Amino acid sequence: MARREKGREIEKITEIPLAYPRPRTWAAMFAVSAVLLGLYLVSVGVLFWRGVGVWGEDIPVNWGIAISNYIWWLGIGHAGTLISAMLLLLGQDWRNSLNRFAEAMTLFAVVCAGLYPIVHLGRPWFVYWMAPYPSTMGVWPQFRSPLTWDFFAVLTYLIVSALFWYIGILPDLASVRDRAKTRRAQVFYGLFALGWRGAATHWARWRRAYRLTAAIAVPLVVSVHSEISLLLAAGPIPGWSSTVFPPYFVLGAAFSGFAVVSMIAVALRHWLGFEAVVTERHLDLLAKMTLATGLMTAYGYFAEVFNALYSGEPAELAILHNRLTGPIAWSYWGALLGNFAPLQLLWLGRFRRNPYVLFAVSACVASGMWFERYMLVVSSLSRHGLPSSWGSYSPSFWEWSLYAGSLGLFLTLFMLFVRFLPIISASELKGEASPEAAHA
Amino acid sequence: MHRRPSFPKDLASPSDPAIFEAAAAEFPAAFAGVGETGRRQLLQAMGASLALAGLTGCTSDEPDEQALPYVRQPEYRAADRPRHYATAVAGIGGYAQPVLGTTYAGRPTKLEGLPEHPASLGAADAFTQAALLGLYDPTRSQVPRRLGQPADWGAFDAMMVETARRLDARQGEGLRLLTGQQTSPTFARQISQIVERWPKARWHVLEPVNEDQRLAATALAFGRPLQVLPRLDLAEVVVSLDDDLLGPGPQQTRNARMWSQRRIAYQAGQGDHRLFVAEPTPSLTGVAADDRLAVAPGRIGAVGQALAARFGLAPAPATLSAREQAWVGAAAAALSQAQGRALVSVGALQPPAVQTLGLALAHRIGAVGTTLRLAEPVALAPPDGGASFGALVAAMAAGAVDTLLILDANPAYAAPADSGFAESLRRVRQTIHAGLHVDETAHLCAWHAPVEHDLETWSDARAVEGTVSLIQPLVRPFYAVRSRHAVLETLQGRPVASGRGLVAATWRERFGAAFESLWAGALRRGFVEDTAAPEIAAAAAAIPAPAPHAPSSGLELVFRPDPTIWDGRFASNAWLQELPKPLNKVTWDNILAVGPDLALAHGLESGDIARVAAGGRTIEAAVWITPGQSRRTLTAFLGYGRRLPDQVGDGHGYDAYEIRPQATPWALTDVVLSKVGGGPRLATTQPHQALDQPGIVRAVTPAQARAPKPPPADAVSFYPPVPKDGPQWGLSIDTDLCIGCNACVTACDAENNIAIVGKDLVAEGRQMHWLRVDHYVEGDPAAPREAFQPVPCMHCEDAPCEVGCPVGATVHGPDGLNLQVYNRCIGTRTCSSYCPYKVRRFNWFDYTGSDPPERRAQRNPNVTVRTRGVMEKCTYCIQRISDARIQAKLENRAIADGEIRTACQQTCPTQAIVFGDVSDPSSAVSRRKAQARDYSLLPEENTRPRTTYLARIRTNGEGG
Repeated sequence: MARREKGREIEKITEIPLAYPRPRTWAAMFAVSAVLLGLYLVSVGVLFWRGVGVWGEDIPVNWGIAISNYIWWLGIGHAGTLISAMLLLLGQDWRNSLNRFAEAMTLFAVVCAGLYPIVHLGRPWFVYWMAPYPSTMGVWPQFRSPLTWDFFAVLTYLIVSALFWYIGILPDLASVRDRAKTRRAQVFYGLFALGWRGAATHWARWRRAYRLTAAIAVPLVVSVHSEISLLLAAGPIPGWSSTVFPPYFVLGAAFSGFAVVSMIAVALRHWLGFEAVVTERHLDLLAKMTLATGLMTAYGYFAEVFNALYSGEPAELAILHNRLTGPIAWSYWGALLGNFAPLQLLWLGRFRRNPYVLFAVSACVASGMWFERYMLVVSSLSRHGLPSSWGSYSPSFWEWSLYAGSLGLFLTLFMLFVRFLPIISASELKGEASPEAAHA
Repeated sequence: MHRRPSFPKDLASPSDPAIFEAAAAEFPAAFAGVGETGRRQLLQAMGASLALAGLTGCTSDEPDEQALPYVRQPEYRAADRPRHYATAVAGIGGYAQPVLGTTYAGRPTKLEGLPEHPASLGAADAFTQAALLGLYDPTRSQVPRRLGQPADWGAFDAMMVETARRLDARQGEGLRLLTGQQTSPTFARQISQIVERWPKARWHVLEPVNEDQRLAATALAFGRPLQVLPRLDLAEVVVSLDDDLLGPGPQQTRNARMWSQRRIAYQAGQGDHRLFVAEPTPSLTGVAADDRLAVAPGRIGAVGQALAARFGLAPAPATLSAREQAWVGAAAAALSQAQGRALVSVGALQPPAVQTLGLALAHRIGAVGTTLRLAEPVALAPPDGGASFGALVAAMAAGAVDTLLILDANPAYAAPADSGFAESLRRVRQTIHAGLHVDETAHLCAWHAPVEHDLETWSDARAVEGTVSLIQPLVRPFYAVRSRHAVLETLQGRPVASGRGLVAATWRERFGAAFESLWAGALRRGFVEDTAAPEIAAAAAAIPAPAPHAPSSGLELVFRPDPTIWDGRFASNAWLQELPKPLNKVTWDNILAVGPDLALAHGLESGDIARVAAGGRTIEAAVWITPGQSRRTLTAFLGYGRRLPDQVGDGHGYDAYEIRPQATPWALTDVVLSKVGGGPRLATTQPHQALDQPGIVRAVTPAQARAPKPPPADAVSFYPPVPKDGPQWGLSIDTDLCIGCNACVTACDAENNIAIVGKDLVAEGRQMHWLRVDHYVEGDPAAPREAFQPVPCMHCEDAPCEVGCPVGATVHGPDGLNLQVYNRCIGTRTCSSYCPYKVRRFNWFDYTGSDPPERRAQRNPNVTVRTRGVMEKCTYCIQRISDARIQAKLENRAIADGEIRTACQQTCPTQAIVFGDVSDPSSAVSRRKAQARDYSLLPEENTRPRTTYLARIRTNGEGG
């Protein structure tokens, strides 16, 4: 019974792009996303026209929510690759129900993240100077800078994630093409299916390419967020300059990523009726991953506090004190509360399998992680160095609007994905179902 | 027919036309194509055309001076070479501030103190530095006005001729002249001319911050009013009773310079140097003091009396607190130990009775004639002396004034609240205002005549110690404006005369037959030698009556000139508006200083609005909680609350003149304070002034200061050492000498084209000053220890900013400079995030693109004007380094020690800043850094800064 149900739903995956089941809801959601995307464009327009001064940044806090959002978005963009690539290599078949939209989420989140450091530049039109290109002046990027590492890390991650996602979706695009009734759809999906015929040689090469890309992607999961953490940790700034930062950031990223994947899984499952493909078992597994990475992140918090206390450095202690009791203590306690308090519900199986609870807990984690990124960036900068230059920071309207707009960018891309592409890996689910594929 | 132009002569263009002709015959190439027009004019003309295209109107009184741009560059006269002229600006109180002006292509770009002038010795205060911007103020008055509408000079002259005819008929009866305080000999000559012609005319003075009480005190003590000139270079012990010797004012440069001479000698182990200050409100002198006593304004007299009692000059006052007793005891002991090398000084704002007490005490300890010199007053005394302005208003109210000419005074704004000036003005038939701006008074007068800025005019003025400076123009007037002397000349119905001729006429009388050579010499030098006011050997001071000691039950309020805007005269100067006030770092606003206890009692926080009521008048002012303020005292600062539509200074702050009475202009008693509510954010550049971190501001005992320096710890770095080549630049700042006067900050503004961003952006933490003077407060808020610390870029050897930049826009030079490459910067701001000293400034917006042409003309052509989105910071004045390097290379020699001076160093009146080659152990900067007092800021960062500090010397060696 359940098996037949699952089969029907697998079929549905490739039919959705051709005949979307709930067009009105989609149109409404897309409209909201598009409005937010419009806000993004307006915010960037104002920013470029007038200068970074339209934000609330100052000296000393010259990085604000632009940088904290950058870290936050990139963190969210972690779980996709982690789920797809690592679990693929580990042979965890349950990932097949989740990997496609998790990868899409990764891709879109990385796009949202990657735009932030560009628009936050004083002179964004010169962003290409960060790339090593044969300039007539013979100038080159400055390779000691964590920002240069950042540039390469994010770009690599974006390319590999896109490749991995595209390779994975290829057989499903062919399925859609084959089912397409209109000429336009046939041409569109046909072009992107790259002539996939499902021949055995295709499958063999596809499998090799997919696994190879996965193998390349897995180290990137660790490297990219480690590198982002160095943006902060490589600077001589109390509260940032700590060796715990790379693992702390990677785990935090995975944590927020799993949380957002959980939210998307719950939403899509309900919305499009994939209860048989994305089962309670999947929710349970996602919740367990969230809980596990959450606890590791909690260790990061502990280690950070311990390091500050153990070092006995007055500057480190002052920053710790500032985080716990200073003017932006709300972000520290907000992070602690959002990240770890509701998370404890996930110790219990019935909460893990309850989609509502999982969604709510995940939403708390996503916002908790936002607070954490904000706290990390602002608390250290506002109290760095000489007390004479301590300052404060409050984001301006245009910073908030850009943030809302970046959510719009993400949602717009995601809505287009949901509407026009197979959102779950049908080919892999089929393979999982057929006995001979189990040995592949 | 071409007349020889009347322009200043430098060494290269002698004044004598014969020499000019001879030179032209000798060097035809250099003069080819110049024709009848002098080369200097061409330079001027080129500057004018470059800078002021479309703005210059030729002044009508010099019709033969054509303005032509260069078509072909004359040989040997590169337009990019600077030229220097010695001149002066008439600063606060009309006192000359001697300057050496630099011009590029005819545009004045920088003022420095005049090194040879005895009152400057090369230093200049913030006001003098900022005078340059006043020249380029686009909101200056540019044309004459009649009833507020633009008029022309022809109509103005016709009116003046008509007025003169009317006055002639009745011997000048009803003519009144109101000016600010004047020291100009030419002005004196013109006034006496006017009075000679019209015996019934009368001259009055309104100077809101004046020395009337000091002149009254000297008159009481010595029988006639005298100028009091402290010689701080000779004083080993100084006791100041509310005298802000080192604070802003016309004497600051001279006093600070002399004080630092003594201090430097003391640092080298010669003699003692101690400063005792009793004052109601914190001042720069109070911060520099070894022992500072916060005392209510009404009790200064009692403290002075107690001090006098120790020397048997007065009966001891009845009540003195233990703290006051201790201070008096210590001060008295120090004074009696250092007789003949000690000074007692009472503030000019104190009542005459207290000041006479101080003079008697000074006499008793042998200060008069040694550390305290007396001289004839330098400022010209109006007929009615201190009652001058009151007499004028009385005459106006009585309808006895027919014509009132107001020159460089602003009675509609700065007159005492109870004078009734504005009402009386309606009874005057003809009102004429002449000044730099269309100010509050100009709006009330029928006529307004714009006058020339000091840098484009001919005049003369005397410095505080009497030396006469000749004021010569650095540039032709930008607008249709006239010299003050020309305005006084037209008042007499005479045709317009050139300013140069009027000033020369004064000196022709004085110099006599040797005029030509003496005049040329004085112009070249910038001042007339041997014109200092001669010292007067005063008779024994009269034994004063004990100072009246009025115990006040309510709050007391004292008035002070604003530290950057003074009495309001600098309100239109954006550099001075954005210059942080030394003690609270507030910009663009004046505040009401309230002590911490009083603020707590009234529930006031810094920035709250409070209502101050006294004598039936009220003002509402923004409160600033001021540590070290005497407990029940408020301080109101003059100069704000201006009503100047469309001008920079319009509307900021509150107007303290509104409660300032004529009778007691400096203090109010029985003041009522009440909280109104929260106010708009004050724009302070340093929100955190409390110092709770050791090691940033350091102090040592005299013994520690003279001990050898311990060897430095080995510096460890992951990075390979930066290759070094040539001189290694470094800076040393002596916090023991820094008095926090801000001259360096303003000098940096001018030298480095620092953008002014306005109050709102300063409030958001976006000020652009490359150099800031941090102010720290430590310990008990009622009696804090305070310190100043100038912070430029540290030029770290291991600079975190260089590591952070992804595009290599901030790099290390072989001479140890941390360089900022503006056109490579993409604005990631990582450098600033990583900088522990936060000395970097970011162009959040385009601050320069919309500058009017006048502002652009002011810019230093050797310093890049920064664009939007790039980071900037202190460069150690790299343009000056390059200049010296090029010069040394041309002459095939090494750069000499002291050849390069940074702008901050050059203007510093206390010589607190020394720049030079740290790789040369014999250089001045290396010798300084070899002292035990030398320390780095935040050494734990291991940045190895090239800028280091010398700790302050305190007898107890504690804290800041």
